[in-house]
Amino acid sequence: MLALYRSLLRLYPRDYFHEYAGEMEWVFCQAQEEARGHTLKRRALFCAREISGALAGALRQRLFSVWGANLSRRFDMRPGFRFPRSTVLLMCVILAGVKLAIEKAKTVAEAGLRSGTVAFWHPLLFWLYPFAVVLVVVGAVWGILFALRRTGMHRLANVQTSPEHQ
Amino acid sequence: MDFLPLSEPVLLVLLSLAEQPRHGYSILQDVERMSDGRVVLSTGTLYGALQRLLRQGWIERYEEGDETPRDRRTYRLTSKGRRNLQLEIERMRQLTRVAGLRIARKEA
Repeated sequence: MLALYRSLLRLYPRDYFHEYAGEMEWVFCQAQEEARGHTLKRRALFCAREISGALAGALRQRLFSVWGANLSRRFDMRPGFRFPRSTVLLMCVILAGVKLAIEKAKTVAEAGLRSGTVAFWHPLLFWLYPFAVVLVVVGAVWGILFALRRTGMHRLANVQTSPEHQ
Repeated sequence: MDFLPLSEPVLLVLLSLAEQPRHGYSILQDVERMSDGRVVLSTGTLYGALQRLLRQGWIERYEEGDETPRDRRTYRLTSKGRRNLQLEIERMRQLTRVAGLRIARKEA
């Protein structure tokens, strides 16, 4: 288990690894020693927790090293921003729409090519139509995200309650 | 105060360090004890939180002496960290007070 944990620590960025890996390994060994005296279930939970924690930590640090403070500021010290579940459905619908539009454009272009009536617009429309659709979709997604930010849904946690008097 | 509210693990880590400087394993144990076993941090989660708190200047490394092994470094709360922790506790206290009043009114 220690060997596995060591290899997981290798997934962290180099700077982070040099700074914290020794300390993390020591803490892990202490925790593992303590877990040894417990039931099999508790030991399994310990292993799962440590592996998932190390993987998630490595991913977070990797993302931070790529995007820096802009990414981490959103998640630092806070319960975190979450999109409403409906957003996922909306994104899926939009993705399906884009896929359908691309397929439709391909069909139209192929039909035009076969009949030879669209020779003059084919190269232009074949590329422009999907591009325009993607552009519209990106605009719509940006609009949705902007609207979500404007509603302040993610700032609800900051609501300050005023003292009430009976 | 856009850093409030704090997540529960971060709050517990800060509370653990508010009492005395501690090393990583001691923080893990104290967090579990404080939360009655409800919050059990993994090493990765703990060090992610410690690194963020260090970066924001809420905690600092505390060198007990030259003999302290590098893998047993201790951490302690800075004045900024203590101030922010007090703000969070005050926020929670106010929320609890309002919640208590609302519930009492409903029951009356």
